[in-house]
Amino acid sequence: MLFQTTPAHEELRARIRAFAEEEVKPIAFMLDQQNEFPTEAIAKFGKMGLMGIPFPKEYGGAGLDALSYAIAVEELARVDGGTGVILSAHVSLGSWPIFAFGTEEQKKKYLVPLAKGEKIGAFGLTEPNAGSDAGGTETTAVDKGDHWLLNGGKIFITNAPKADTYVVFAVTTPDIGTRGISAFIVEKGWPGFEFGDHYDKMGIRSSSTAELIFNDVKVPKENLLGKEGEGFKIAMATLDGGRIGIAAQALGIAQGAFEHALSYAREREQFGKPIGVHQGVSFKLADMATKLRCARFLVYSAAEMKEAHVPYGMESAMAKMYASDIALEVCNDALQVFGGSGFLKGMEVERAYRDAKITTIYEGTNEIQRVVISSHLLGKLTKGNEGGGRSVAKKPAPITGVRKKHIFRDGDALQKVTDLVAALKKDGHDFSVGIALDTPIPQAERVVSAGKGIGDKKNMKLIEDLAKAAGAAIGSSRPVAETLKYLPLNRYVGMSGQKFMGNLYIACGISGASQHLKGIKDASTIVAINKNGNAPIFKNCDYGIVGDVMEILPLLTEALGGTEEKAPAPPMVKMKRPTPPKPTPIGKSYVCSGCGYTYDPDLGDEEGEVAPGTLFEKLPEDWVCPECSEGKEQFIEA
Amino acid sequence: MYNVRKVTDDLYWVGANDHRTHLFENIHPIPKGVSYNAYLLLDKETVLFDTVDWSVSRQMMENLEYLLGERSLDWLVINHLEPDHAASIDLILARWPKVKIISTEKGFMLMRQFGFHPDEHEIRIVVEGDTHCFGGHTVTFVAAPMVHWPEAMVTFDLTNGALFSADAFGSFIALDGKLFADEVNFDRDWIDEARRYLVNIVGKYGPHIQLLLKKAGTIIDQIKFICPLHGPVWRKDFGYFIDKYDKWSRYEPEEKGVLIAYASMYGNTEAAAQALAARLCEKGVTNVTVCDVSNTHVSYLISEAWKYSHIVLASVTYNLGIYPVMHNFLMDMKALNLQNRTFALIENGSWASKSGDLMQKFINEELKNMTVLNERLSIASSMGADKAAELEVLADAIVESVKA
Repeated sequence: MLFQTTPAHEELRARIRAFAEEEVKPIAFMLDQQNEFPTEAIAKFGKMGLMGIPFPKEYGGAGLDALSYAIAVEELARVDGGTGVILSAHVSLGSWPIFAFGTEEQKKKYLVPLAKGEKIGAFGLTEPNAGSDAGGTETTAVDKGDHWLLNGGKIFITNAPKADTYVVFAVTTPDIGTRGISAFIVEKGWPGFEFGDHYDKMGIRSSSTAELIFNDVKVPKENLLGKEGEGFKIAMATLDGGRIGIAAQALGIAQGAFEHALSYAREREQFGKPIGVHQGVSFKLADMATKLRCARFLVYSAAEMKEAHVPYGMESAMAKMYASDIALEVCNDALQVFGGSGFLKGMEVERAYRDAKITTIYEGTNEIQRVVISSHLLGKLTKGNEGGGRSVAKKPAPITGVRKKHIFRDGDALQKVTDLVAALKKDGHDFSVGIALDTPIPQAERVVSAGKGIGDKKNMKLIEDLAKAAGAAIGSSRPVAETLKYLPLNRYVGMSGQKFMGNLYIACGISGASQHLKGIKDASTIVAINKNGNAPIFKNCDYGIVGDVMEILPLLTEALGGTEEKAPAPPMVKMKRPTPPKPTPIGKSYVCSGCGYTYDPDLGDEEGEVAPGTLFEKLPEDWVCPECSEGKEQFIEA
Repeated sequence: MYNVRKVTDDLYWVGANDHRTHLFENIHPIPKGVSYNAYLLLDKETVLFDTVDWSVSRQMMENLEYLLGERSLDWLVINHLEPDHAASIDLILARWPKVKIISTEKGFMLMRQFGFHPDEHEIRIVVEGDTHCFGGHTVTFVAAPMVHWPEAMVTFDLTNGALFSADAFGSFIALDGKLFADEVNFDRDWIDEARRYLVNIVGKYGPHIQLLLKKAGTIIDQIKFICPLHGPVWRKDFGYFIDKYDKWSRYEPEEKGVLIAYASMYGNTEAAAQALAARLCEKGVTNVTVCDVSNTHVSYLISEAWKYSHIVLASVTYNLGIYPVMHNFLMDMKALNLQNRTFALIENGSWASKSGDLMQKFINEELKNMTVLNERLSIASSMGADKAAELEVLADAIVESVKA
């Protein structure tokens, strides 16, 4: 066991080094100064077949291992840190999730051109309120039947806007935490998909970084990556591998700086001797080389573990954390060896010094890497659901269940109302037919309901008009019937009153007390109109308009076609509502053959001091059944 | 009077029937009785496979004395230590002081714990794959842990193809003269009790049954007789029963259909359950069973739950909780590891209806791989005509799900 790379690895290294020295090195300073992307060099690199190193040949890749890929990133970064991350983001983040989670069709359509280098890939996870904590994702994708409607934005996206395909994460089921997130493949050029400004960065200036903006982007159904609700799992698995790329980049940047310092220490003379003979310099070089060797072993080992399909999440975090931490130290020392010359623009060590800094920050700050590593060591020490664990909802689901919660915000009141009507018609509500205003609530297909927000009794005319226009019966909240007496008692909707089970419930001026919400939880579609944007009804609705009922109701009545009598509605066909997805267990359960005890990795074994989240395979060899003391080998898969 | 039956050459059933025990394991009603099966092999040496419950030990002794005649008993093979089979061990040991005992290591441990005296006899501890020759017949031993105790094994006679399967492939109901499964109308008269036996006793250990089925699969062409410790001996149609076992132990429904289990104090929830049953049948889903949880023993409820793909729970609210008997049914489903069913709920409450939410929470959080339909029927005290639409919606949702 010599811990050595193979001759094939070293041949690949020589090939990439030659490319980097010839194609990138001469322009590296210019790219840095002008904040420019090496478009031609990357195209050429792709033609050499090196943009898909770790993917099988059948998908356009080079069919090489993860270590080959790490070496490629290292060698590009050795010459230019920015160019290194272009490859890393393209392979690890933009292409790998499609390779690992994509359907055969998705792989043929997207992975093949990515791996061949004909297209560039990127990864959209980070948002203003969601970085290390993916559970804060606010970008949404709403199921529209034949497509998903993507809205929101992403920040700090490497390779944007140069990339052609983006793996984007969005919330598909709100309020259930990370298991409500799904992944999508989004193409540049689709209507509504735009880019913000290219950031002006401190380092890695040859790589392009921009914001993604999604405005009603229609994503075809077949572009859902993996299953609905698997987004968080896909993101975490991708980042586990991505860390190897960043670790390799940090290693390469530091290696380049070190080599420059080493040759400078031989050439530069002071006191009649090369400065390298002075221990102040030579010891620095010794430390630098030692750190580089440590980092290289960590990086290569993590890559080998990934290739061998053994768990490598902790080891890749260690590699990323250590390699980037020492990259800062090595670049700092290298610049110090150069003295004043190193402080000048145009010097490679000056650029390396700036390029290195990002590696301790992106794809999980080194603080987050320590969280990852320590959680592998300790497991989850806190009990219960606090701390926003893996698949735990941050707050209970709304009383009315999983709802779309699409609030119309664009344009003036008329625009919002028009958008609402369009959305309702698209969902299949037919407003050319209607039911009688006094249809009993439990039998009504649609109900327009008034809350206290309706104000004066004369405003009930607005409710009546809207009900006519919507082909609906009239209902109300409990106080409107019981206290204000605008309607008979048998027309109030709520847990203690009538239950609405039809297809469309339009709540006007209703704030959404829990008693009321329990009476409408079987409604197929809930529309909320209220001037208080924070009213609970908005968390429990499918569509909402924040506005004054006095203004919105007449507009909505008009947009639905006015108060003329409708044709009688045919018997109601109940519109189905989705059931919320269940959390997927993190690993298989195992049953003891000595007593029937089941080891569930989600729970761990508290008495045995095995933290929740520990996979059965990861249990220590001397772990025994907490109930009957049989060993691990006595367990079978549940 | 002795009462034995021949299984095949040299092999005899020497067990007994029991109609006087009301509760099996002192928990499950057995209105049609149960048999305790023991088998005697008359080879060069004589071998008894397992014994019987204390209640019928005298019958077994008469059977043995008759068949052995002047011979003595040479070997006692204990596959399973549960006292409904092992209780008579000491009686055997006392009657034939030179009898030698074969069991697993854990079997001997339990034998001592239960107060029997194997150590005054020659014993042989066996592990999976061991063989033993009694003269003409050679048997091999196969571990069957957690079907349904940890010490359990099954013994396979390589010479005549008899598999002594311990509690696997057993059933409630006394044999009453019959011995072979092909001597009864099993699918008409026995399958419900066979299911009730298996899922209530061994239901929790599906993965271990699967493991045993896998082992049996490798010798299936050599098996000629399956000799369980309760119920009839199988000598044909193994596929029929193995298929049932496979479904039960994978927690897959046996049939598309609906179990409606209701908890009703004054008949109002019952009326709703009955109305739903009628709506389902009118809509073409006629494979429906309705049970009152208060007067149906939970072992029957569990058996029906194992059979059907869909389960409707209709419960009143009781002390702001689920009606205790219904709660007990839910707890039993959890304890026995039932999975992969679709539920629909009917809740009733006169001032604060809680049972629906609580049942849904239990199903979602305590049971595995269950689906609860969104549609729920809520009743305040009694179901008026105004609930007809709600009932219709619930029935439609169940029908759609059953037919999906």
